Amino acid sequence: MNIEQVLAQAEQLLAAWNKETIHPESNRLDVVIVADDLRAAVIALHDAHWGYLSAITGLDLGTASAQLEALYHFCNGPAVASLRVRLPRDQAILPSIADIIPPASFFERELQEMLGFTFSGLNISARLFLSDDWPENVYPLRADFTLDQAAPVAVRQPDKLPEQGFVGGNTFVIPIGPQHPALKEPGHFEFTVDGEIVTAARMRLGYAHRGIEKAAESRNWIQNLYLFERICGICSHTHAMAYSIGVEKLAQVEIPARAQAIRELVAGLERIHSHLLWLGVTAHEAGFDTLFMYSWRDRETVMNLLEQITGNRVNYSANLLGGVKCDIGLEQAKAIKEGITYLETRIRHYLEVVTTDTMFLNRTRNIGTITFAEAENFGLLGPTARASGITRDVRIEAPYGAYTRFPVSVVTETKGDLEARCVVRLKELLVTCLAIRTIVDNLPEGPLTARMPRKIPAGETISRIEAPRGELLYFIKSNGGETPARVHIRTPSLCNWVSVLEKAVGRQLADVPMLIAGMDPCFSCNDRVVTVRHTGSNENWSWKQLREYGIEYYKR
Amino acid sequence: MNTLTSLFTILIFPAGLTLVLVGMLYEWIDRKLVARFQNRVGPRWFQPFADALKLFAKEQITPEIVNPYLFFGLPIAALAGALTAALYVPLLGLNPASNFPGDLIVTIYLLSLPTMCVGLAGWNTSGRFSLIGATRALTQLFAYEAPFLLAMLGPALVAGSWQINTINSYTQNHWVIFTQPIGFIVALIGLMGKLELPPFDAPEAETEIVAGALTEYSGRGLALFKIGKSVELIVGLSLISSFYLGGLNGIPSFLLKSLTLLLIMSMFQVLLTRLRIDQTVGLWWRFGAILVLAQLVVTILWKGFSL
Repeated sequence: MNIEQVLAQAEQLLAAWNKETIHPESNRLDVVIVADDLRAAVIALHDAHWGYLSAITGLDLGTASAQLEALYHFCNGPAVASLRVRLPRDQAILPSIADIIPPASFFERELQEMLGFTFSGLNISARLFLSDDWPENVYPLRADFTLDQAAPVAVRQPDKLPEQGFVGGNTFVIPIGPQHPALKEPGHFEFTVDGEIVTAARMRLGYAHRGIEKAAESRNWIQNLYLFERICGICSHTHAMAYSIGVEKLAQVEIPARAQAIRELVAGLERIHSHLLWLGVTAHEAGFDTLFMYSWRDRETVMNLLEQITGNRVNYSANLLGGVKCDIGLEQAKAIKEGITYLETRIRHYLEVVTTDTMFLNRTRNIGTITFAEAENFGLLGPTARASGITRDVRIEAPYGAYTRFPVSVVTETKGDLEARCVVRLKELLVTCLAIRTIVDNLPEGPLTARMPRKIPAGETISRIEAPRGELLYFIKSNGGETPARVHIRTPSLCNWVSVLEKAVGRQLADVPMLIAGMDPCFSCNDRVVTVRHTGSNENWSWKQLREYGIEYYKR
Repeated sequence: MNTLTSLFTILIFPAGLTLVLVGMLYEWIDRKLVARFQNRVGPRWFQPFADALKLFAKEQITPEIVNPYLFFGLPIAALAGALTAALYVPLLGLNPASNFPGDLIVTIYLLSLPTMCVGLAGWNTSGRFSLIGATRALTQLFAYEAPFLLAMLGPALVAGSWQINTINSYTQNHWVIFTQPIGFIVALIGLMGKLELPPFDAPEAETEIVAGALTEYSGRGLALFKIGKSVELIVGLSLISSFYLGGLNGIPSFLLKSLTLLLIMSMFQVLLTRLRIDQTVGLWWRFGAILVLAQLVVTILWKGFSL
C-alpha cells in the first residue's frame, strides 16, 4: 500500500465523524472532529490497528479567537493522520483516551498542565512536569502567559518531599531520585516495596524544566537551532536535525545530497555514542562495573571522532538550516574508518558478553519481559519496542534525508526481556557501523548548504526522526514570521515510561534500576517545557536575565 | 615485663596497629588490582590511609531517631570483634598471640561480629535504605555462614584439632587444598561474602539502596566500620592460607600466600555481576552448602577408615 491508500483508509475509518478534511502535506491527513466524537474516532483507528498514537499537540490559537486546539497524531509508516479538535478556551474539556491507549495519559497530563485542557476521566491531578508550587490556573504555553503570572517568590512553597517511613507492616516506600546513585539525572520514583517485592510504582518528572518550547516562540528560526540542540546532551544532533528537517520542509528548501549524507553520518556516530553509554549504565545498574568501564572507554573513540569532525564532543552543532557546517575531508574519512573498525570488533565482543556471561544473564534474561501485544498496547518506541518484535523504526518506515540513499536494516528481537534489549541495541550498532562506512566511501560531491529564507512561510509540519531512543516527533507551526508560532516536541522517553511503571510491579527491588535503565530513559528529553528557574532559588528568570547571567559568569 | 610484652603484642605488633596498617595496605592492593583489571588508573598507595584520616577528622552526624549508644557503640564493637579474632590466627605468619583448644570456633564467630553490627546499625538508623541494606546483610550472613564454617571444619578434622595453632602446624606438611578443593573454594568465596565484595555486594548495592545499612553513617563511625572490614580481610586471608595453602610460617610465606588469594579474589570481583539477594541465598544453599557437606562426609569416612 502506498501513502495515498493508507491515508484513504484512515479517511474512510473516520468518515462518520469527519467535519472537514485537510491535506497539509503529501503524507498527512488532518481530520477535524468535535470533542464528543473523539473517543469513537480514536477507538475506530485503534481497533483497525491503523498506526499508533504518536503524540498529542496542544495549540493556543491566540487570544483573538479564544480557542485551543488539540491534535492527536497517529503515525502509520510514513503516513500521519491527525485528529483536530477545536475548543473554546474557557471550556476546553476533552474526553480522556488513556484507558484505550495507556501512554496517552502522559500526553494528556502535559496538555493539562501546559495549556489548561481538562480531560474528563483522567482523574490525575498530581503534577508531572510543573512544580507543585506553580500557581493554579496559570498555563505557561498559552499565548497570553507572562512571567508575572507565576506566583511571586514570597508565597512559593518548596516541592513536597516524599512521605517518610512506613506505610504499614513490611511495606514501605523506597524513593529513587531526584538525587540517587542509580539515576544520574533528576527524576523521582516511589516504589512501594513489601520486603523485596515492588507492589506499586509512581513517578514524577520536571525537576529540570528549562522552558524550551516556550522560549522557542520568542527566538528566531536560527537561534532555535542552537536551543533545541541543548535539549539533550546525548542526542543533541538528532534534535537539531529533526528541527532543521522540519523547517526546511516548511521553507520548501531541498538541501544538498552531501549535507544529507553528513547528517546521517553524524547521527550514526551519535547513535554509537548513545548506545555504548547505555550499555555501560545498564552494566553498572546490574553491578557489573567492568563492562561499564570498558564500554565507556570505547565510547571515547567515537567521542573523539565527533570532536574531530565537528569540533565538539557533546553539542556537535553540525547542522545549519539548509545544510551542515562541517565537511568530511580525507583525514577525517580515514580516522572514521579506523575508529569504526576498532569499534566493530569491540561491539562484537560486547554482544558476546551480554549473550554468554552467565552472571550478567542472571540479571537480564527473562526479566522485565514485554510481549509483542503489551508493547503495542504501551505504545513503545525505539529499541525497547524492537526488542519485543515491533518493527517500528522511522529510518526504515519513513526514510528521511540520506536514509533513502544509504538505508539501514531493521534489527528486532522477539523475547522482549532485558537481554533482548541489549542485543537489539548492540546489533543496531553493527548495522550503523556498516552504514557509516558506506557513507564515508560514497560521500556525494557538492555544496554543503542551500540558501534559506529568513522568514519561513506560514504552515504546519511534522518532522519525525529515529533518535537513539526511538521516534522523535517535532510539530512546527509557522505564521510566516521570523519566529516559530509553536514548536511541540515529543521525545521517545515519554512514550516508554508506561512500560517501566507497569513492569516494576511484582519484581524485586534489585531489578528496578535495571528496568529503568532498560528503556534508556532520558530525563532532559522530558523536562523541557516551562519557565526557566535558576537552581538554588525559587525565582523565575527571563531569558534576558539568564543571558546576562551567562555573560557575567563567563567573564569571571 | 610479661604484661608489657603482652600489651605490645596486642596493641602494636603483630596485632593492633600493625594489623590495621597492613589491612589498609591490602585494601589498597585490592582496589588497585580491581582498577587495573577494569582499565582504570586506580588509587595511590596511601589512599585508604588518607580516607581513614579524613573520615576521622570529619564531623559524625547522628540522626535524630537513633539510639545514640548503639549508634556509637556498634562501629567500635565491629572493629573490636575483628581485632580480637586476629589474636588467635597466625597473623603475618607469626605464632598466634593467644591460643586455647577450640579457638577456631571463637574466631569464626568473632569474624561474624562485624556483619552483625552492620545489620544492627542499619536497623537502628531505620532509614529506608539502611533497613533494606540491614535485612540483606543479615540474610546473606545466614546464607554463607554455615558453608564457611563447614569449609573451615574440613582441615580441622584432618588435623584432629579445634585449635588454630595446631592445625597450622599440621598443614605445614599437608596442602589441604589438594585433598579438599571444594572446601577451599567455598571458604574463599565465603570470605568474599563476609566482606560484601562483588558479586555479594547486594547489601550495599549503590544503584538500589545507596550505601545500604551504613547510609546514615559518617565520620568516625564510618571509618571504624571500614577499618573493621580491612582487619577482617587480613584475618580471613590468614585463616584460609594457613588452613588450605600449606600453613603459615613466617612473613614471606604469609605475603606470598595471602597476596595470591587476594589476586584471585580481585579477579572474581571484576568478572562477576552482582547477585540479587535471592540468587545469593540460592547459590549458597543449593550449591555451596551441599558440596561442602558432601566433602566433609568424604573426609570423615576417609579418616574413619584410615584409623
